[in-house]
Amino acid sequence: MTYDFEAMLQTIKDKQWSLADIDWDAPGAETMTDELRAKMRPFMADLVWIEHVGARGFASLATKAPTPVVKEIYEYFHAEEQKHANAELALMKRWGMLDEDGQMPEPNINVKMAIKVLDTYGDNLPLTGLAALIPLLECALDGALVKFLLDEVSDPVCHEVFRHINSDEARHITVDFQVLELIGAGPLHKTLIESASLLHPQVVLGLIVVFVPLINKMRDNIVAMGLSEQKLYNAVKRYSSIGGRGEFTRRLPAYHVLRTQASMVINRSHPYHRFLADPLVKVTSFVPARLLGRPQAWVDEVTHEPIAS
Amino acid sequence: MRIVDGEGWRDVDLDGLRVGVWMPAAEAVRIVPAVTARARSVKVFQDAPVWVAPVPVRIPTVARLHLRLTVRDTWTRRLLTPGRFGGRDVIVSRSYYRALQRSNCKLITWPVYAVVTQGVRTAEGIEHRVDVLITPDPVRKALAA
Ligand SMILES: [Fe+2]
Ligand SMILES: [Fe+2]
Repeated sequence: MTYDFEAMLQTIKDKQWSLADIDWDAPGAETMTDELRAKMRPFMADLVWIEHVGARGFASLATKAPTPVVKEIYEYFHAEEQKHANAELALMKRWGMLDEDGQMPEPNINVKMAIKVLDTYGDNLPLTGLAALIPLLECALDGALVKFLLDEVSDPVCHEVFRHINSDEARHITVDFQVLELIGAGPLHKTLIESASLLHPQVVLGLIVVFVPLINKMRDNIVAMGLSEQKLYNAVKRYSSIGGRGEFTRRLPAYHVLRTQASMVINRSHPYHRFLADPLVKVTSFVPARLLGRPQAWVDEVTHEPIAS
Repeated sequence: MRIVDGEGWRDVDLDGLRVGVWMPAAEAVRIVPAVTARARSVKVFQDAPVWVAPVPVRIPTVARLHLRLTVRDTWTRRLLTPGRFGGRDVIVSRSYYRALQRSNCKLITWPVYAVVTQGVRTAEGIEHRVDVLITPDPVRKALAA
């Protein structure tokens, strides 16, 4: 009873869509009021960056995919996350959220640090860590952030775009968990060795300093905008219930670590916030961006133009 | 958009045209330098990279060094590095990497999912318009059908 990755790859190829399929000048942009624009602009900017950094995550996963078919699937997912970033940037443009040159909004310092870590360690992180992290982020994105956006914005073009994005994401989440099953079903010593390599102090420290404040800042921003904490809770519950349904995923230590961390993140009264996350948000806000140097060229690839000539 | 095969392009006057090259990397290595010298702009759609070395050797280390020394941008180097399921063959060319880095040339590694009347659509959601698409003969025939 092994999962048919080949059939999934074919489905992915059949379901491709393009920014050029969308009428970006269709009526509905006027539903974006000044008030809503001001509120949603930072949210959209974060969303574009999450997709773009997620794309980079899949690029790293592709280099260590367990089989050539999974590798090809990850290459498509890399491109699809880029497509989501492109489409969301095009929505920002439609809603008058970009300045004249149509550039990507600057990422905050925590996103910049995440980019730096992915550039430096992304391709060397063991498969299990990244393979367990990505579905957690996708559950949060899909279950909380996107639902929030679609509740707030009534523009039909936005809803059309997200019908495509959501259908892509459903496939991402399916594959993410099937890959965890595949890894978990492997020889136990191998998963343990892989997991142990995740525990190098340098890696642990790097991941904590970068991802703990990144996630907390977004969490608080979005809750302040009006996202209900219940939605976050449901998203994490989905992560543990899909993972728990699997036969082998629970053999992966990385899955358990992330599940535990996620449940602390959503519970604002947990000491995790007072003793770790909040201080890290504060400390990292003082990190000068120039210390991080120039990111690699992939960060400049997002575009809102459906046609390139 | 005109579609020609890996040999047929030699009979086309590429002067001032936008050209797409969607060929297996081993063949793209052979033709991209000549195409970039003639066309206005070139987009190289790469499915999977191959090792390239300036001299006929079968040692990937030489190819790795060649890549390191001739391609300055870290991300581009990553896109040009074959993965662990990639072939071990080394293709000989002194000018491929230089051609790729010319200002009129762009390397595109997003998967191609459709060829439309005016260009190529790739999975990052963008339609890349070209005047001429160079692609292997079986693909050209399939598209014409
Ligand atoms: Fe996405
Ligand atoms: Fe995704």
